[in-house]
Amino acid sequence: MSDTHTPRAGDDQASDTDVVALLIRQHGDIRNLFDEVEATSGDERRDAFRRLVRLLAVHETAEEEVVHPYARRKLPGGDRLVEDRLAEERKAKETLAALDEMDPDDPEFMPRLLALRTDVQEHARAEERYEFTHIRRTAGPAELASMAKAVKAAEAMAPTRPHPGAETMTAANVALGPLAAVMDRTRDAIRRVMGRS
Amino acid sequence: MTFNPLEQRGIPLDRQLRNWRELNVQPIDPDRCDPYTRCRIITMNGIETEAILFGHHLARHTSDPELKRQLARTRYIEAQQQRVVNWLLPGVSSVLETTIAYEQVAVDLTAWVARMEPDPYLKQAYEFGVLEDFDHLYRYANLYEMIEHRKAESVVDNLTEVMPGRPTKYHHRDPYDNVRDPYDRTTVNPLSKLHALTVMAAEQQTMNFYMNTGPTYMEPIARQLYQEIGLIEEEHVTHYESLVDPGETWWEQLVNHEYNECYLYYSFMEQESDPKVKAIWELHLNMELEHLHIACDLMRRHDGREPQEILAPELPDVLTFEPNKQYLRELLATQIDLTTLGAGYVREAHERFERMQQQIHGGEQPPSERVMAEHDEMFGREYRVETEGEHPDPALRER
Repeated sequence: MSDTHTPRAGDDQASDTDVVALLIRQHGDIRNLFDEVEATSGDERRDAFRRLVRLLAVHETAEEEVVHPYARRKLPGGDRLVEDRLAEERKAKETLAALDEMDPDDPEFMPRLLALRTDVQEHARAEERYEFTHIRRTAGPAELASMAKAVKAAEAMAPTRPHPGAETMTAANVALGPLAAVMDRTRDAIRRVMGRS
Repeated sequence: MTFNPLEQRGIPLDRQLRNWRELNVQPIDPDRCDPYTRCRIITMNGIETEAILFGHHLARHTSDPELKRQLARTRYIEAQQQRVVNWLLPGVSSVLETTIAYEQVAVDLTAWVARMEPDPYLKQAYEFGVLEDFDHLYRYANLYEMIEHRKAESVVDNLTEVMPGRPTKYHHRDPYDNVRDPYDRTTVNPLSKLHALTVMAAEQQTMNFYMNTGPTYMEPIARQLYQEIGLIEEEHVTHYESLVDPGETWWEQLVNHEYNECYLYYSFMEQESDPKVKAIWELHLNMELEHLHIACDLMRRHDGREPQEILAPELPDVLTFEPNKQYLRELLATQIDLTTLGAGYVREAHERFERMQQQIHGGEQPPSERVMAEHDEMFGREYRVETEGEHPDPALRER
């Protein structure tokens, strides 16, 4: 039997020349991590949640830096479209930051996580249907590829594999710092690739 | 079983119309629902879609304007029922995710019907078909992982295994060989009529779904796989619809449709785990009882016969969504290399089959093979869920 472990971000040999295909797969990766947080408990849940927070931070930052600006510039009505998505992202980030300060074993944690999951999933499908479809229609192969490259650089900032033990987990957390720091670092990485820093 | 739909009265037809608020149902949560709740929704959508389409065809063969108006009234209610049932599916699900659920329906519904079917010729027709739906589930599951990085088990939840069935490339038969012999309406067990109608309606809805949603994908392999499997659904509709005795009158068929809807809503009401969905099955059962009553009156008036002559004396055992893993494994071990010849089944690739294969494949690998190659390139493996051990057919074990 194959070892059919759940795919994680970057966990394939795809050529990644299409930013939309890449982001849709990341939406699946995020959904997989929500599953993992829900299915685990204790330290395992803490670890899964850390990875979820990081991937969400990296993914949303990449969208804000790469695809939303493109949509604003190139799509008819792009401004309004992006405003709607940004409002959803702001709301999700607030919930995420609040959750990030909570202990995953807190009884309040799960209901709030599930509410976040619903918001994130609706946001992701709205992007796929109202923004990504138009990006694919408008952008040429070179633009799709260069945006993909920037998103890949961001993805590298999110170590999505489970950590072997609690010690390294703590070390990794310290090294990465809180949510805002992950976003800053991701932004820098993207800007280096896009030659805008 | 004491429930006899012929003896029950439901909600009067003039009280069945629902307003926008009542039509605006809360969809299920795709990440937390019982997979078989989703299967029941998809099945009833197929059944209601068939009710609407059958009703339109009946109306087109009806010249009496008053009768047309009477049919239109019931049909409008059926249309509302379809809108409520299918709108239980959530907008956040992708087309591919819903496709995996459609194939879970095809596998576990057809397998259950095959297990319960009393007539050996009809049973063989279901056993033959289910091994093809089983393979479609496997192909789409691999596509799903490629496009969304999601595993099909997040949809089917280990209730249904995902592994090769009869390879999809061999499903393309000469249309001549897709037509079966019909049952004889005068001697067949009434349960067999319900089975044939149910599986036909489910496959017809699957055909509608693939032929309309397939082109919404942009990925070439996805577009092509929907085109290929969509054409096999055409074969399956041909296969199952030809089982129904064409000598049934229009009114007799109408009664069978309404009776089947009562049977299925009753069955699903009995086993539904989601209370909000269960309430809908119950409400719709109470509407269908009245539709059945109206249909029975029409049959008496136009055919001069009693509906009791064609229906079961009591409602059969409930149709159940449950795992069919061992049954499917037996079929995989024994029937994977079958194809059809005329209205029967053979193991050898005959001349007409070979000619069709040559023409449709045009010397190339079909999308159902290329999806596996592309998946392998991406992940270096295939996607399967083999919860009960390795594949029963040694030739189809993963290398």
